[in-house]
Amino acid sequence: MLLPRFDFHEPATLAEACEMMAQYGAKAKVIAGGTDLMVNMKKKLLSPERLVSIVRIPELKKLDSSPAMLKLGPCLTIATIAASEEIGKTWGAICAGARALGSPLVRNRATVGGNIGTARPAGDMPPSLMAYGARVVLSKKSGQRVVSLDDFFRGPGLTEIAPDEVLSEIQVDAPPPYSGCSYMNLSLRSACDCNIVNVASFLTLEGPGGAIKSARIVLGCVGPTHRRAVTAEKTLIGQKPSEALFDKAAGVVAACAPGAETADCIPIDDFRGSAEYKMDMAKLLIRRTLSAAMSQAMKQ
Amino acid sequence: MAKLIHLRINDTEYDVAVPPNETLVDMLRYRLGLTGTKKGCGLGDCGSCTVIMDGNAVNSCLVLAVQADGSQITTAEGLETDEGLHPVQKAFIEHGAVQCGFCTSGMIVSAKNLLDKNLNPTEAEIRTALSGNLCRCTGYQKIVEAVQSVGK
Amino acid sequence: MGDFDVINKGAPRVDAYAKATGRAIYVDDMKMPGMLYGAMLQSPLAHALIRNIDTSAAARLAGVKAVVTAKEAGTAKWGVSPARYDETVFCHDKVRHIGDNVAAVAAVDLETAMQALSLIKVDYEELPVLLTIEEAMAEGAPLIHEEYPRNITAEVHQEFGDVQAAFKQCDLIKTTSFVNKRQDGAFLEPQGCLAHYDHFGNLTLYSSTQSVHYVQRTVAMVLGMPIGRVRVVKPYVGAGFGPKAAANHLELAACLLSIRTAKPVKMNFEREQVFMHSRGRHQFFHKFTTGVKKDGTILALDHECYLNGGAYSSFGIATVYYAGSLLGGPYKLANMKYDGYRIYTNLPACGAQRGHGGVAARAGWEQQLDMIAEELGIDPVELRLKNMLIAGDVTCNDLNTSSFGMKECIEAVRDGSGWNTKKGKLPRGKGIGMACGFFVSGAGYPIYRSDTFHGTATVKLSEDGGSALVMSASCEIGQGSDTTFCMIAAEALGITLESVRIQSGDTDFGVDLGAYSSRQTLMTGHAVKEAAEDAKRQVLEVLSEKLNVPVQDMDIKKGAIVFKRGKPDISYLRTAYIKEHRGWTDNPGSENELSFREASRIAFLSRGTIVGTGKYKPPELGGKFKGAAVGTSPAYGCSAQVVELSVDEDTGKITVEKMTDAHDCGLAINRTSVEAQMQGSLSMGLGEALFEEVKFDKQGRLINADLGEYKIPSALDMPPVKAIIVESNEPAGPFGAKEVGEGAIMPTIPAILNAVYDAVGVRIFELPMTPERVYKAIREKKEKNKGN
Repeated sequence: MLLPRFDFHEPATLAEACEMMAQYGAKAKVIAGGTDLMVNMKKKLLSPERLVSIVRIPELKKLDSSPAMLKLGPCLTIATIAASEEIGKTWGAICAGARALGSPLVRNRATVGGNIGTARPAGDMPPSLMAYGARVVLSKKSGQRVVSLDDFFRGPGLTEIAPDEVLSEIQVDAPPPYSGCSYMNLSLRSACDCNIVNVASFLTLEGPGGAIKSARIVLGCVGPTHRRAVTAEKTLIGQKPSEALFDKAAGVVAACAPGAETADCIPIDDFRGSAEYKMDMAKLLIRRTLSAAMSQAMKQ
Repeated sequence: MAKLIHLRINDTEYDVAVPPNETLVDMLRYRLGLTGTKKGCGLGDCGSCTVIMDGNAVNSCLVLAVQADGSQITTAEGLETDEGLHPVQKAFIEHGAVQCGFCTSGMIVSAKNLLDKNLNPTEAEIRTALSGNLCRCTGYQKIVEAVQSVGK
Repeated sequence: MGDFDVINKGAPRVDAYAKATGRAIYVDDMKMPGMLYGAMLQSPLAHALIRNIDTSAAARLAGVKAVVTAKEAGTAKWGVSPARYDETVFCHDKVRHIGDNVAAVAAVDLETAMQALSLIKVDYEELPVLLTIEEAMAEGAPLIHEEYPRNITAEVHQEFGDVQAAFKQCDLIKTTSFVNKRQDGAFLEPQGCLAHYDHFGNLTLYSSTQSVHYVQRTVAMVLGMPIGRVRVVKPYVGAGFGPKAAANHLELAACLLSIRTAKPVKMNFEREQVFMHSRGRHQFFHKFTTGVKKDGTILALDHECYLNGGAYSSFGIATVYYAGSLLGGPYKLANMKYDGYRIYTNLPACGAQRGHGGVAARAGWEQQLDMIAEELGIDPVELRLKNMLIAGDVTCNDLNTSSFGMKECIEAVRDGSGWNTKKGKLPRGKGIGMACGFFVSGAGYPIYRSDTFHGTATVKLSEDGGSALVMSASCEIGQGSDTTFCMIAAEALGITLESVRIQSGDTDFGVDLGAYSSRQTLMTGHAVKEAAEDAKRQVLEVLSEKLNVPVQDMDIKKGAIVFKRGKPDISYLRTAYIKEHRGWTDNPGSENELSFREASRIAFLSRGTIVGTGKYKPPELGGKFKGAAVGTSPAYGCSAQVVELSVDEDTGKITVEKMTDAHDCGLAINRTSVEAQMQGSLSMGLGEALFEEVKFDKQGRLINADLGEYKIPSALDMPPVKAIIVESNEPAGPFGAKEVGEGAIMPTIPAILNAVYDAVGVRIFELPMTPERVYKAIREKKEKNKGN
């Protein structure tokens, strides 16, 4: 399969990349690992005039963790993240998401920034990152801004990134004590597959055996973007964690009928599965991830 | 519009002029004649085009040749040394892990990349490492056995 | 088994070295000076009249060397079965599916060719699109091919015995339905070809094909050339599984473009086109009614089947016959009725794929037998042991089993899997299931009516002596046939495997129908064995003249001449041989032995090049009824399988944990390859059972035409497979050998179906068993139980 023609640029620094995006704007596309972009270009769904490759800019490949915060360069490969003990010991669900993505060959090339930036509703990286409350830094020639991932996705393939901006960092705060987070995905095959449903849940308890202080549940594949199950989260706050409670939270998700203003889970029928099945699986994975997050939180 | 790139492929230095829209696999196959790397899908789904790029196995159909400028590439043709076949190649031959052969180059390159990183992989680790290399002929059994035999 | 020196052992394949080093050349690895690149223009509509085609802008584009449509190609009809030639190289009056071929371009590079395609303007007038069997057979539906009323490609009505009368004798009559989904071959090498028309008017086509013979015949027929002017060569082929067994449009277009440009033309399918043009497994809608006695004796089967065939016949007539004829065996069944219909629709055509016609039928019926066994309180293994055929049995539809190790297969998987300790004793969510199957060892008749030999072979001994070259038009496509034939030739000649080379896959080497219907080991194998024996006889005849020893008192074993009644004085021959090699060292053999090398050199000096020839044609097979030919074979392989799996009841996801397979291949020529065929078959069966489905939208557009969304098993999806070889010494097979390539897939799907039932108590009647389908079945069962 041939790629359409384009001009290729390989800036050496982030500043240079921002300079180029300022100049070319919507006519250019940022390419990192290219595992998603090149597929779309080969299928002739996208045909940018220019590609700006950022995958070898050293400052965009940094992995920086402190007790308070994890900073991920957008060009870190999924394989690096999957294997990182540094990330795994505090932010295990991020590694779980990375391990679930594509195949080893794709993981060696795909980047975390790319998996966020392509905004595929079935993407493996966003749920855990959102569950941990991650933010992204969007840089442009004239400065930068920080956007919560909650507000980042605009639709399938659409994000907050303006044509002159480059996603330059992902920031994740360290979870407070007595927290746990879990990511689970359901797909047909055990590798190289697009998810049917994927969910990450995050819980913080008041203390060992205490009530739930905060909760974040993130759903994939059941809406145009990854989204928080806000109403379900609310049912958890201040309650003692239990399987019955998790069941209730899952039920709340289902009760928000598609079309309702507050709907958290609005799956559609497509060739991967019926809306009904996806709804049931979202509920199941909510229960399972909450349960796993709770066991983690209890262990601390 | 073609860009001059420099890379080291199978321990040989290459200077190549490539258009930006040429993938690494097309450059290897059609420009350099390294046809051991196969093209099965063009979309990163099958792994037939697997090469090792700077130490990691990748789908060369999803890498722009210009993005490989300055890289070290190992293809199926590059596994033999003066001492002969790579142990993975020998094991594939001896264990009957080769059938139609179209996935074999990529499969062997992935297996080598695994063994470079993990001298003694478990069966599960082997299956995971090869999960991006589809094979329609073998059911993977003899491939896994071949890789296991090298690991031991 | 006999005492063999070469065969019946595990051997590394003769092509493994080339493939493991990346040196093996497949068609897209080839390049010729001045080579052009071709591309096909394909219909964006599923059903439409062609009003006009304007190629002028494309022809004017710089770098374009030829643009061809039906105007240039003509409208000669072709296809697979002469009874249903319903295709032309390019559509001229209408298009019948999305992807149907309208024009082709040859240009200096692929980019230019693709650009030229975008400049061809076609005016279409849309017609109603018929995607389902119901739509296509509906009263008043438009006809996809004018000649075929109600869009029926072919229908079959057969009855053997008296089914209704037999049902009256039955204690239990069970009716179930079953439907599979269209399956793609998903071989890793897309079809490709390189056509070269030379200045003498000879056409050479290199193609990724399973049958150089049928392609040669089709190309010559469609392009109006003498067959002798067309040579088809198969380089290494990245598998086929059936879809590459017929000629395709790419081959014909490339040949036409090469003739018109007098340049070599290369063409490849993209993966999406593989899905549109490789004619894989049909979708079958089966209904089975089976009657049994209380003791489990199967008395009668009434079977009805509808096939969604797509826009052209391809192998479809054979498919609809096979779906019926290969069901009753491997069991004794005196009464069988079959009504089959193969229907044209506006989808890409279906054809033959591993286990041709029989896989879905086998899946549905073996599941029904499991249900019957349960209702009768009989162990599924026992039910099968009770009913199975034994060697020498002839089925009600006249299929003759000259060897049949069914009992050994069933017992092997029962014991090899620990069936007796597991069946009915596993915890909920874990299950074990078994099933059986059988398959032809080569179709009894060629696709076109002919008295042709099905295979010919030549074994030429090197003039210097000592090595042999096998030449055959058979097709190594990954299954291991080249190695098999080298082993057969080595065994028959009495020399080592290392002394034998093979050249195959070239119509210049003779006639061979190719790699389909699991025919090559038995049929080509016979021809190779005969050719090797012929060469050996000639060598021994010369020795006989020289040494005055009767031919029958000599043999060749392990590269040396064996004298059965005392060794004559060989010194005169040895001296002659050494004289031949004056000036360079050549070991003539040990002191006491006359080596094959010496003998074959001496034979050359006496008679010229020693060439042995062999041929094979099956005897007349089958009954006299209409369609009796389909399903006939000189021999039948059979198999049994046990699958162990777990089901996540909350998601419906199945994890297959272990498979135990036993297959009777008569005699394993290369044990390694036999196991490999079994393991590969199981993986294709597992894919069809759990994942695979070619999907279309309401316009007839493919929506998962890539290997990401069309899901074949990965290394993580396949469990360990225990492959047990059973050998029954087939009298009609070379050295007793018969098939393994397709039969082994037969029990896989039903064994999984039956294991799912054992695990969670649900019966699934539609493939694939996706998590959603299993989940819904579990939920429905729970709700039904609540209702009770």
